[in-house]
Amino acid sequence: MGLDYQLVLWNKHKKTYDKVILIGMLLYIILFASITLVFNSETSIETLVIRAFGTLAILMLHIILIIGPMARLNTRFLPLLYNRRHLGVSMFIAALIHGGFSIFQFHALGDVNPIYSLFTSNMDYDSLTNFPFQVLGFFALLILFAMASTSHDFYLANLSAKIWKRLHMLVYIAYTLIIFHVFLGAFQQETSLFTIVAMCLGFLIITGLHIITGIKEVTIDKQQGTYGDPNWLKVCDIDEIEEDRAKIFTVNNERVAIFKYEDKLSAIHNVCKHQGGPLGEGKIIDGCITCPWHGYQYLPSNGQSPPPFTEKVAIYELKIIGSDVYIKPKALAEGTEVIPINISK
Amino acid sequence: MSKNDDFYVGYIDHVAPKTKGFLKRFVAITLFLIVAVAVIFSLTQSTFKNSTFELTSTTQITGIYHENPYPMLRVPINHNSYKNIVLLGFGKSSVNPYLQKVMNEVVTLDKKEITVEGNLIYYNGKTLLQITSQEKVSLTHSLKNISSNIPISKLGQKTLDGEIIDPKCYFGVMKPGKGKIHRSCAVRCISGGIPPVFATKDQYNNSQYYLITDQNGMPINKDILPYIGKPSIIKGYVEEQEDWSIIKINTNDINIVSSTSDIYQ
Ligand code: HEM
Ligand code: FES
Repeated sequence: MGLDYQLVLWNKHKKTYDKVILIGMLLYIILFASITLVFNSETSIETLVIRAFGTLAILMLHIILIIGPMARLNTRFLPLLYNRRHLGVSMFIAALIHGGFSIFQFHALGDVNPIYSLFTSNMDYDSLTNFPFQVLGFFALLILFAMASTSHDFYLANLSAKIWKRLHMLVYIAYTLIIFHVFLGAFQQETSLFTIVAMCLGFLIITGLHIITGIKEVTIDKQQGTYGDPNWLKVCDIDEIEEDRAKIFTVNNERVAIFKYEDKLSAIHNVCKHQGGPLGEGKIIDGCITCPWHGYQYLPSNGQSPPPFTEKVAIYELKIIGSDVYIKPKALAEGTEVIPINISK
Repeated sequence: MSKNDDFYVGYIDHVAPKTKGFLKRFVAITLFLIVAVAVIFSLTQSTFKNSTFELTSTTQITGIYHENPYPMLRVPINHNSYKNIVLLGFGKSSVNPYLQKVMNEVVTLDKKEITVEGNLIYYNGKTLLQITSQEKVSLTHSLKNISSNIPISKLGQKTLDGEIIDPKCYFGVMKPGKGKIHRSCAVRCISGGIPPVFATKDQYNNSQYYLITDQNGMPINKDILPYIGKPSIIKGYVEEQEDWSIIKINTNDINIVSSTSDIYQ
């Protein structure tokens, strides 16, 4: 957590994860190269590298973009989210090999600087079919670079979670640029129904999943409770919350997680200080609310990470009348001590 | 089992069996996806041509240098038959800088015998040679009884349907060496002094190649850049110099067409 961002925590899971990424990438490259060399042996080695790594990068980008919404829909995907940044950096490396080889092959050793050439060798910016598609790939690669180079928690801590999150939302712009890069580039000349269908399918799956999770989020936002006393909002029945788990409600336009544990209830702001993970989908482990994304922990009684860590989230007051749970919609300052309420008192 | 039991925390080594099973299935499906995508993208590539670039081996050739319309070496094949090899520089550049040393040794290099060493590029009966060092070019005097006049036949005005390519890549260095994917590179090559060539097909569907010059038969490079790598129709005066045809054009007579050109079939 907060203090140990300087070093990457290498544990068993991360190693397994990285091994799987490496094996997957090697498998792809070896298969692509062998099939090409067997069935289309007159290829040139540069074209082989450019195509193998370009298509590998876009396949990996699809997997990355699918994991996010899948983890929102099914918590079993969470372990894949835990190390997604490694997948992201590996994808960037594949894209860099593709882009780097392309720049060298098509633009280097000429009469002008290769990057200048990338932008000026084809000036048909006003045409769709003749558009200089390399430029789109170049900007996508810049975005991927910005993301890969700031993926470490060091930047998360120094850029603030909000800016970091915004930076990483750029991946959708990169994805859009790459779609156009492929459709206005390679597909104009290497036209095959199979590859076009594959790309369209990928696009449909990614947008479809994002729409479905979007609908789910809206449903959570509708869990608003009812007001009796204007200071207290009735949210649910005690039994609706599972032991050591939480239920998420939206009060004052903020999401709040109400946890039940050891015959007590506590409410904290739902947003993890690390990367904004949904704390209400986490679990109480060793007496601490544990974020489902990367395991940051917070004490339910004050929203503070246990020492030596320093993260703090806002906390809310609760009361119970009969079996109904009420919450005070106004949050207390981050890290305020609030005595958890007893259920069977 | 309640979902409480398989909550995953990355830094805790224990993983619930159900989560483990799920992850294994996910990895298996992903591996299958990897195989499927690799098969689709590799098998759907258009067939590459058997054009050749001898990157790692060099060949020594002796012939008569002639400058017009573009630097070439006229090499005797057998009695009264010659092959004209287009000379190119390293990377995306003209051969001229590499001839500077021998040019300084004579008043005019045109029609003089030289021996050069470089990397061959060849496809479909056309041969080109890349020279990468001034030291690989020298004046020699070994050929006997060779007329230095190249017979030229004038074939009048013609309209051709095809694409402007850069011959270095098209005849061997890159694949594909034409079309949209390759356009930027062809622009760089021709901008760097490599002669532009028009690739087309005759009525018998045989490939034909024309070196492109301006209306006066002089090299044309910068003016032709916007037209490279696009299906086009050009009009100009055609001449034949042994195994190469030449078309003299005004760039205003190049018409970009939206259809796919013949050379793709
Ligand atoms: C500097 C940046 C880039 C340049 C100069 C570039 C250039 C190219 C070129 C020249 C091609 C056509 C190659 C051929 O078919 O022979 C191509 C195709 C492609 N590019 Fe890029 N690209 C860049 C960045 C990217 C990025 C960031 C991605 C994705 C992550 C990407 C994905 C693809 C894909 C999927 C194809 C089609 C398949 C292929 O032919 O390789 N490119 N790119
Ligand atoms: S978002 Fe990373 S631990 Fe909560």
